Amino acid sequence: MSEPILVAENLTKWFPVKRSLTQVVRHERTWVRAVDGVSFSVEKGEIFGLVGESGCGKTTTGKLVMKLLDITDGTLKLQGEDVTHIKGAALAQHRRHVQMIFQDPYASMNPRFTIEEVLMEPLEIHNVGKDRAERDVWVREILEEVKLSPPDEFLVRHPHMLSGGQRQRAATARTLMLNPSLIVADEPVSMIDLSTRAEILSMMKQLQREMGLTYIYITHDLSTARYFTDRLAVMYLGKIIEMGPAGTIIDKALHPYTMALIGAVCEPVSGKVNQIKDVPIKGEIPAATNIPTGCRFHPRCLYSVAECWQEEEPTLDDIGGGHRVACRRYKEIERLGNAARTSEASLGLRRTA
Amino acid sequence: MKRDRLAQLRSFWSEFRQVRFGMVGVALLVVFLALVIFERPLLTYRDVNSRWRDMMYWTDSPRYALPVWVNWFTSKDYATSAVIQAQNVQEAEGVRRTTMEFPYEFKAGRPPSDVLLQLALTGQVSLTLDIVRPDGRSVTYQKNTSSSGSQVLRISVDQNLRERVFQMVASAEDPAVAASRNPKQINSVGVLFGKAQPGVFSDPQVLDGTYVLKLDVTLVGATAKLDSAKVIVAGGVSGILGTDAQKRDLWSGLVAGTKWALIIGLLTSIISVVVGVIYGVASGYFGGWIDSLMNRIYEVFVSIPLLPILIVLSAVFKPSIWIMITMMCIFFWVGPVKTVRSIALQLKENAYIEAAQGLGASHRRILFKHMIPQLVPYAFASMALAVPGAITYEASISLIGLGDATVVTWGQILFDAYSSGAVLQGIWWWIVPPGLAIALMGMTFAFIGFAMDTILNPKLRTR
Amino acid sequence: MEKERVLEVQDLELHYFTRKGVVKAVDKLSFFLRKGETLGVVGESGCGKTTMGTALLNMPTPPGRIIGGRILLDGQDILKLSENEVRRRVRWETIAMVFQGAMNCLTPVYTIEKQMRETLQQHRTMEKAEAKERMKNYLNLVGLSDDVLRRYPHELSGGMKQRVVIATALFLEPKVIICDEPTTALDVVVQAQIINLLKDLKEQVGVSFIFITHDLSIEAEVSDRILVMYAGRIAEMGTNAQIYGPQGPAHPYTQRLLGATPRLHEEVEELAFIPGTPPDLIAPPEGCRFHPRCPVLLERCAQDDVPLREIEPDHMVACWRCFDE
Repeated sequence: MSEPILVAENLTKWFPVKRSLTQVVRHERTWVRAVDGVSFSVEKGEIFGLVGESGCGKTTTGKLVMKLLDITDGTLKLQGEDVTHIKGAALAQHRRHVQMIFQDPYASMNPRFTIEEVLMEPLEIHNVGKDRAERDVWVREILEEVKLSPPDEFLVRHPHMLSGGQRQRAATARTLMLNPSLIVADEPVSMIDLSTRAEILSMMKQLQREMGLTYIYITHDLSTARYFTDRLAVMYLGKIIEMGPAGTIIDKALHPYTMALIGAVCEPVSGKVNQIKDVPIKGEIPAATNIPTGCRFHPRCLYSVAECWQEEEPTLDDIGGGHRVACRRYKEIERLGNAARTSEASLGLRRTA
Repeated sequence: MKRDRLAQLRSFWSEFRQVRFGMVGVALLVVFLALVIFERPLLTYRDVNSRWRDMMYWTDSPRYALPVWVNWFTSKDYATSAVIQAQNVQEAEGVRRTTMEFPYEFKAGRPPSDVLLQLALTGQVSLTLDIVRPDGRSVTYQKNTSSSGSQVLRISVDQNLRERVFQMVASAEDPAVAASRNPKQINSVGVLFGKAQPGVFSDPQVLDGTYVLKLDVTLVGATAKLDSAKVIVAGGVSGILGTDAQKRDLWSGLVAGTKWALIIGLLTSIISVVVGVIYGVASGYFGGWIDSLMNRIYEVFVSIPLLPILIVLSAVFKPSIWIMITMMCIFFWVGPVKTVRSIALQLKENAYIEAAQGLGASHRRILFKHMIPQLVPYAFASMALAVPGAITYEASISLIGLGDATVVTWGQILFDAYSSGAVLQGIWWWIVPPGLAIALMGMTFAFIGFAMDTILNPKLRTR
Repeated sequence: MEKERVLEVQDLELHYFTRKGVVKAVDKLSFFLRKGETLGVVGESGCGKTTMGTALLNMPTPPGRIIGGRILLDGQDILKLSENEVRRRVRWETIAMVFQGAMNCLTPVYTIEKQMRETLQQHRTMEKAEAKERMKNYLNLVGLSDDVLRRYPHELSGGMKQRVVIATALFLEPKVIICDEPTTALDVVVQAQIINLLKDLKEQVGVSFIFITHDLSIEAEVSDRILVMYAGRIAEMGTNAQIYGPQGPAHPYTQRLLGATPRLHEEVEELAFIPGTPPDLIAPPEGCRFHPRCPVLLERCAQDDVPLREIEPDHMVACWRCFDE
């Protein structure tokens, strides 16, 4: 892996909340801190995963990378160039290099367009290709690439005439039209049936290998993230709290939030029917308008001690092997071990469930 | 490319044909267009376009005549209108005397509304008119007239012959009744065509047969001459749609009004809906301060009342239909704005708008390729609804005397009817046809609009 | 000793009568549900699992109609009852359903108390205080505090709303609760909590569940027995251990479906998947309905309709390969 294709430093996005009259009088403003200082880099040819629960800011981060939203603070560099505040032609160029696959392939295609029109659109926008004939050839090639063949059959169809899997293939084909350097895939398979999910993911992975693509894979589903990504970042309330190689994160998670997420995942193995699941977390995710002081996870953490909320927020420190974690007590927690964790956690669950 | 479009149009048409009410709309549109294209041969009064308001043009017609086809449904037929040309014209040499006869074959359940003799004369003339009835009774009218130039003389049974007609049949009536009647207040035409029997004044029974109007003209002096003469029977029925209070032929008016209805309705609605849709979409799509500004401008336009502005403008400019259409467009475009804006607010939340942005599409592309096509069905529907609005608006402006006096419009006909109290008098043939025409025109576009909606909205379609 | 069967379905058939043809969404389905057990129903979208759920309430969505079969609830065939009787005595009284996305069906303008009381009053006449007491009990049972009663839906999180819906379903003490994808829209942590809640309730209240989902890993956690549906029919039905145990399921479809389910703690290079799409239920394929997608096809699979047979106790399969003949 060579130079990073994308570098995000302290990426921040705050949305203003509509003020009440008293707030206007007092000159107060509240903000939804959707993304609150996120730093990461994506190497060329890798699949970088962003996981977290809804509202953790993973989709917003994706949109910031796409420059679909204005960046409040921080810097974003694509292939060494600062793209934080680009506009106009430079922005159009940026959007040629970075493409997005959306969660709902049906909603992301204009229902009035045929697949041909959908795929032609990027070419028309960026005026790529000599003439229609050349573009036509490309469209057919890409359709073959995503295994929607024969292309003639699919070109004339409207999105609603395709099955879920076929739609996501078409949506993927659209992002490939411009030969992008980075593809942001926002929950590309969450709306797709389980049996086809794997099919789409393998196709995406195959394309990545063949064409040397780079993905940012945004998901809430740890199981597919493990299979699909090389590196994984876990987000909580607008911040990355743990980051590292996908296998390490899942098998040797250190942050208590990551552990809770992993504990919550269902697995298709027998003998768990009569066991209460161990989900070591308490309470519910707080609103992004009111982020707790200190470590933002402390109100839900089963291991939090006074220093967790009294002192500065922990930084995302490298602990070796590219594994980074933002927790002050990760060593102690590791030491507490499984035995203590289960008893404490199940108690916590019973009470807070 | 061209062949592509053609193929697309063809497939669109083949789909359109399957929508039944859409075809009804197209059929109606074809009828209206036919009325416009074949206007010349369809008009019974050729000059209606230029002389609709010219009283002289209509003098020969009966007032408030019913449509002719009413006779198909009544047992007592109304007399039809007719123009009778002179027969047996005899010109005596030397004496300069001309006699002519105008036979009128009367066979109807009800008498005509008037019989008129119309002469064009020059110089000094003396004339005698004899009306001889089938039963031999006759009325005689004499008149001497002179003028330096040419003049048109009209002798009306109803206006000029009342007393003579009274006297003609007075002998048949009960003397006591006859004496009690004021000759000036009889239904002269009814009596003229009534059987000479008691009750002829109060309840005349029609007398069928040939009535002959004999005219004897003596020309005095060298310059005097008789240019033309004709007898006009103003019937109870006239033309396909009857006549109004000004004796105008409503069929001709309606046919002549079709093109204006199409022009006013289509032009106003198309221009204003196109402007309104683009404005509304832009306002909703851009949001923020642009939206606020556009909203304020919109509010200014909705709060200005159109009518006073039109009155002022009509005082400044010469009232013309084109100025009126322009003014209506300037104020009508606000119609769809609010709805379109709210639809646009929903549309822009769609992921495909975001996807297009992500692909680097320009605002213009997103507006015109992704958002406005979604609004086509709505635009057609609001166009269809704006059509009757524009037509009636034009009509109400005409009502206060600010209409374009050089054209005939359905609205003007309808408003003339209202102002003459046609509703109260039960002159249905003056109100129903223009009203129905306006409604049908609206329906035409509504049907076409809905049909397009089902076709252009692929979600309603199946595989 | 076998526990009593609360629900027994025999040859249930439900067809949708559409303009394009008759969709045989549920085709001669037979199964049973024991007291206090959870039966999982899995399958791809469009396999008829939700349709089957509505059929159990005798509440097919138009243009669907139940064509035949019997639904014995406590020995009584509810398909023979009049609509009125079903509404009064069966629906919500004996068998309740938590619909997919039900948490979004709470009316935003009413408090939770009002919404719950409305359901209650449809079925019972009860003093206001008594009703409130009962509501509190059930809310506590699903792990919510009393003050939720005073709240409006928008003040609650997705998980809390789902708990309210479950409490409402429980509330008339039905014997069977059908849950249609109750956790799909929820985050993993909340999903796990809801799953735990359902396990808890099964033990505490003794209610039986039918748990419909497309996700085999959730079924592994909640269901005692699993029913795998394919194209309106049962492909396989077995206990949790039979399906998820080391031996693995018997039907190639179940095997494939399980293979396509990603596992968290296993490094896999390539995920398996099932090529092709589920068949059109207007004109399903001849023979075994899975045969066009089946990797281990026999000659007779394309010709002979395959019956559902018991291959070991509690384990039924519809696959020619699994029958020793």
